[in-house]
Amino acid sequence: MTLRLGRQTFPDDATLMMAIVNRTPDSFYDKGATWAEDSAFDRVAQVVDQGAEIVDIGGIKAAPGAEIDVDEEIRRVRSFVGRVRAAYPDLVISVDTWRAEVARAVCLEGADVLNDAWGGTDPTLVDVAAEHGAALICTHTGGVQVRTRPHRIEYDDVVTSAITDTVAYAERAMAAGVPQESLVIDPAHDFGKNTFHSLEITRRLGEMVDTGWPVLVSLSNKDFVGESLDLPVGERLIGTLAATAVCALAGARIYRVHEVVETRQVVDMVATIVGTRPPARAIRGLA
Amino acid sequence: MRVVLVPGVLALLPEYAGVTDPVADLRAACLEAVSSLGTDVTVVGDPQGERVAAYLLAGTDRAGAEPSFLVVGNGSARRTEKAPGHLDDRAAAFDADLGRALREGDTDTLGALDRDLAADLLAVVDPIAALADLLPAGVAGEVLYEDDPFGVRYWVMRWRG
Repeated sequence: MTLRLGRQTFPDDATLMMAIVNRTPDSFYDKGATWAEDSAFDRVAQVVDQGAEIVDIGGIKAAPGAEIDVDEEIRRVRSFVGRVRAAYPDLVISVDTWRAEVARAVCLEGADVLNDAWGGTDPTLVDVAAEHGAALICTHTGGVQVRTRPHRIEYDDVVTSAITDTVAYAERAMAAGVPQESLVIDPAHDFGKNTFHSLEITRRLGEMVDTGWPVLVSLSNKDFVGESLDLPVGERLIGTLAATAVCALAGARIYRVHEVVETRQVVDMVATIVGTRPPARAIRGLA
Repeated sequence: MRVVLVPGVLALLPEYAGVTDPVADLRAACLEAVSSLGTDVTVVGDPQGERVAAYLLAGTDRAGAEPSFLVVGNGSARRTEKAPGHLDDRAAAFDADLGRALREGDTDTLGALDRDLAADLLAVVDPIAALADLLPAGVAGEVLYEDDPFGVRYWVMRWRG
């Protein structure tokens, strides 16, 4: 299905890199490296140069921490979205927020995508997406509260839960007026999930792809990789890329990443093996 | 009569296409040359050469009832250390002589090519040798492409007789 992300559309065989840009002082991976607005802007320039089709700007880290109210979140992301939009008129700008008020503010600055990492916590977020023509990422959290870690959560079948909840969210968004072509589902690795859940989601990602909804995966340097390989943050790239390859083979469309270049290479290599993308240039044995 | 020579480069075939074309210049020259053939084309080539010819014929609009021949062959594939067949010191002289004969329409030379040496050098000359019978002696060929970008000698040429 053709994907419409705000001002851009993408054919159904396109894979997309969504580069993470944190406007936070405390996110787990970069630990505030792009907290300063100019640093975040430099990060945008870097990932655009690396070929990212989408930037995902977030003003609040996912893990528990200091309370960030609506006004502070808006302070962190609204003007920054405007600055990025002015500098990159064609770039797809996503904002990682669960709050409708924040969503409305960034849409007015030119955001294309609302990445609701907390799975529909704010029931009016869909209305903001519909009103502004923004795409919406519908994630699965297993019903946990925002900014909480999973604690003794279990599922009868985590994949069924992920499919049921994300598709229901997407259908609710459609009913609110968001076009079908602007809805994406995301199993949300590690959100409301222990490592075994995230591994099973990865192993069975094809079942989510089979729903027909475009699938986003957010794997980058997460704890399920770290726990699988017993490696700390900062040493999880290879494990992340292995998980990326599995998801690419299953047909994931969007990859939310810290490392754009490495992920693009893995996704392109898998697509080339599958046969949905030709080799860049082939002459060996053919001259 | 119209005659065209192209190399049997498999990279020309759509089933081996990449994002970028490693033989874009060669492809353009081949299509231009084949475009100048008539509608009634006899292909002279080995099975792989016939596939390349079929691709080129399918991709060109041609007109005219003149008898036309599309010959698929090439020089040595052992011209450099990175060539498909590695370097053979005899390749340069072999190709130079063959190239001269093609340009000059030297049908005597074309009819007396050393097939054993050609086989050693991975040159595809059996179809080229057929030119000795097709071409009137001394009709110069027009060179549209002459290069060895991958250590294999290619010619794209055409003759009108």
